[in-house]
Amino acid sequence: MTDDPHPTRRAHKRRTVLKGSAVAAGAAAVPPLAATASAEAAIASTVDITLSVNGRDHDISLEPRVTLLDALRDRLGLTGAKKGCDRGECGACTVLVDGERIKSCTTLAVMRQGSRITTVEGLADGDRLHPVQQAFIRHDAFQCGGCTSGQIMSAVACIQEGHAGSEAEIRDWMSGNLCRCACYQNIVAAVGDAAREMRR
Amino acid sequence: MSELVGRAVDRVDGRAKVTGGARYAADNPVPGALQGFLVGSTIARGEITGIDTSAARAHPGVVAVYTHRDMPRLTAPPFPYLKGFIPLQDTRIHHSGQPVALVLAETVEQAHEAAALVEVSYRAEQPKAVIEDALDEVYLPAPFRDRPNEIVRGAGEAALAGAEVRFEADYSSPTHHHNPIEPHATTAVWEGDRLTLHETAQGVNLTRGTVAAALGLPPQNVRVISPYLGGGFGAKGPLWPHTILTAAAARLVGRPVKLVLSRAQMFTSNGHRAQFRQNLRLGATRRGVLTAIVDTSTAQLSRTDEAIFNRSDSAHLLYACPNVHIRHRGVRLDVATSSYMRSPETTAHFGLETALDELSYELGLDPLELRLRNYTEVNPETGQRYTGKHLDACYRMAAEAFGWARRNPRPGSTKDGEEYVGWGMATETHSHGAMPATAAVSVDAEGRVLLRIATQDIGTGTYTVISQVAADALGMPLDRITARIGDTALPEAGLSAASATVASVTGPVHRAATAVRDAVVAKAVADRRSPLFGLSPERVVTEHGHLFAADDRRRRDSYRDVVARGGQPVEATGSVPNTPGHSFGAVFLEVRVHARYGSVRVTRVVTAHDLGRVLNRRTARGQVIGGVNWGIGYALMEHTVLDRRTARVVNPSLSSYLVPVCADAPSVETLFVDRPDPGSTALGAKGFGETPITGVPAAIGNAVFHATGRRVRDLPITQDKLL
Repeated sequence: MTDDPHPTRRAHKRRTVLKGSAVAAGAAAVPPLAATASAEAAIASTVDITLSVNGRDHDISLEPRVTLLDALRDRLGLTGAKKGCDRGECGACTVLVDGERIKSCTTLAVMRQGSRITTVEGLADGDRLHPVQQAFIRHDAFQCGGCTSGQIMSAVACIQEGHAGSEAEIRDWMSGNLCRCACYQNIVAAVGDAAREMRR
Repeated sequence: MSELVGRAVDRVDGRAKVTGGARYAADNPVPGALQGFLVGSTIARGEITGIDTSAARAHPGVVAVYTHRDMPRLTAPPFPYLKGFIPLQDTRIHHSGQPVALVLAETVEQAHEAAALVEVSYRAEQPKAVIEDALDEVYLPAPFRDRPNEIVRGAGEAALAGAEVRFEADYSSPTHHHNPIEPHATTAVWEGDRLTLHETAQGVNLTRGTVAAALGLPPQNVRVISPYLGGGFGAKGPLWPHTILTAAAARLVGRPVKLVLSRAQMFTSNGHRAQFRQNLRLGATRRGVLTAIVDTSTAQLSRTDEAIFNRSDSAHLLYACPNVHIRHRGVRLDVATSSYMRSPETTAHFGLETALDELSYELGLDPLELRLRNYTEVNPETGQRYTGKHLDACYRMAAEAFGWARRNPRPGSTKDGEEYVGWGMATETHSHGAMPATAAVSVDAEGRVLLRIATQDIGTGTYTVISQVAADALGMPLDRITARIGDTALPEAGLSAASATVASVTGPVHRAATAVRDAVVAKAVADRRSPLFGLSPERVVTEHGHLFAADDRRRRDSYRDVVARGGQPVEATGSVPNTPGHSFGAVFLEVRVHARYGSVRVTRVVTAHDLGRVLNRRTARGQVIGGVNWGIGYALMEHTVLDRRTARVVNPSLSSYLVPVCADAPSVETLFVDRPDPGSTALGAKGFGETPITGVPAAIGNAVFHATGRRVRDLPITQDKLL
């Protein structure tokens, strides 16, 4: 693996760590991080969970180590959230969980049972776009669209948190979402505009 | 004409992109697809001595693990495949991260975990990673794509020796990686000997040709689909090995395979801007007229490839200098293959535009005045006038809007609180390509327009601009137009790279749409049932989906009715060649440098650009602000660090390879000359996407000098270099 800085050593992969914590969280009687046959067997087994996404309950069966992002994309077909880095750095996978913005690649699906999850697909009211979605179009706050789902979800939360009071504030509180097309000036304008509209 | 062209029209793909409805390459559900994941070499140079895949193969869900021992023999295809080899063909390791095994499993999690279980042993050799470790191996590579690496006009050295004023300095910049937010992704689906690829491709047709060549297939057996691209910046223009390997593995295993590169793999798998060093020597008169430019650069090459992408085009062509000598040299190192990265001409342009700033101080001239004294509207190589070059207007507009005339040139002359304030400027320019393209336009009996062309929208606004062009040519509302792009099943077009898309596809779309309009008008005036019957076609105007008698608007017909009466859609194709060229601009900006921390903030930017006719102000502005922000990253943060001992990338992540974030983005005033270039068949537009980065790194460096008196010639300008 290219992200292993020590070629001669078997490193802890993030998956290994997640796997350990997931097993622990699932209260299985397996010691975390034990690379034993029984641990492997436990990992290969799946759990049945219910995820509440965009107001609908979904019953799915998955391995405990599956991230919320992969569950949304690969199991539920909700591909609006994107996997840009898979390690919480780019923000393209941002969704709302109980109203708060989180990076869905750094949380496990099994940990989010009983939470209200909102993805970009669930933001519009039927055909009527959310004010943030409208503002993004109006201000041309995207180019390729690769980060846009995450930017929009982050912006919705940013406004609800009360962090959209000024351009400087928006710049700071939207800096967890990278845009490589670098539309930032237009994103700031869109978030500010949407915030004013939502306060009305 | 409803004149949509030129207006700041909302993107027609906007709704799809803000609702999550746009399906990118990795978003397509393919039933039964296996998930692939590559294992990369942990050494940079040497041989594979053994691979144990037993643990990986035993992992739950794993279907196959392929190595050089069982992959079919593949042929390294021609351009735009830039690597001199295909991995998984033999035991030789040419760079760190080179694929050595490919794992196929039922789920992503299983594939990733099994990849970590593949045990590879190597006989490692000592690699070299940076130019500084191989200075005695520098050489002048053979021409790449017929472009020589030594360019001579006049007598550079002699003119330099006799110059009234001489200036010399060395400039350098590190390796950069494109890092589009969307990683490279491919899904290979075979039906018999026909292959469909859902691919992150900046050029579906070139990808088709190169994949077919690698697999030994006729091109028509390969279909490449890429309707949306989550950023490319050059990384997805060439074909890279993972696509070939995935397609070959899918054929071998007998199931569709999807593979997405990890972010870390994106630092060794898909090209980069090469590490670069440049020695620049300028000769000038005391009045500031350039008499000689001698530009000797060195770019990092790989062991298997010697293409140079960061060329000194601006030293060659931007200013009126009779004596120019350019050498693009290289040095082979144990690193991955370099490639095109957004605005490749920026790399050498940083040196030239910094050197001119330095020369202006030596001469006691304003840096803008120095550029004006060397201004030319004649291509100095051919002696021919540019059909459209309004760089002088760009200088004037941007300087005035910025307030450049108020600048006190003395370095360190302005302090605001704890920050030194500096102003800098630079010229912007980049070449653009033009590639053959054919568009097809049809109108159906509902009055709906289908526009088909196998170009791509990499975020620059292709969907929108070609829809505007078709709507105007037809006299149709924008919402009647459906544009289909990014699929080799459509009429052929070229790469969306080299700032070539608008220059290449606008003319064909306009011609096809105009032909459909003319055909529909001809049908109307020849049809007794039409209110326009008997009119001369020249007396018919088309607007808002209707056809009117020019002198009596009450006589009208509609596209819908004419086509419905005819019983079948009216269709036409169009193809118009265009010529490559250059677009131009000027950037003026302000930086603030903290007196104690040495941190640099760019706080205000004014740009003016000449891109011929502006087809959409909104998407054009998008390219400018994106370019300015890229220039900020280029000047202040972007830096791939290679470990000199192991030749491995030390920072293969977005938390350690820094790119600009929202907080780094200053206010940008974007001005356009907006005069059609009569030499362009793209409605007077020139290719533009890469131009508005080119001057920004030098303008920032020049402003930092103005703020502090410190000249940083080695990018990025980090705090340690200013303290």
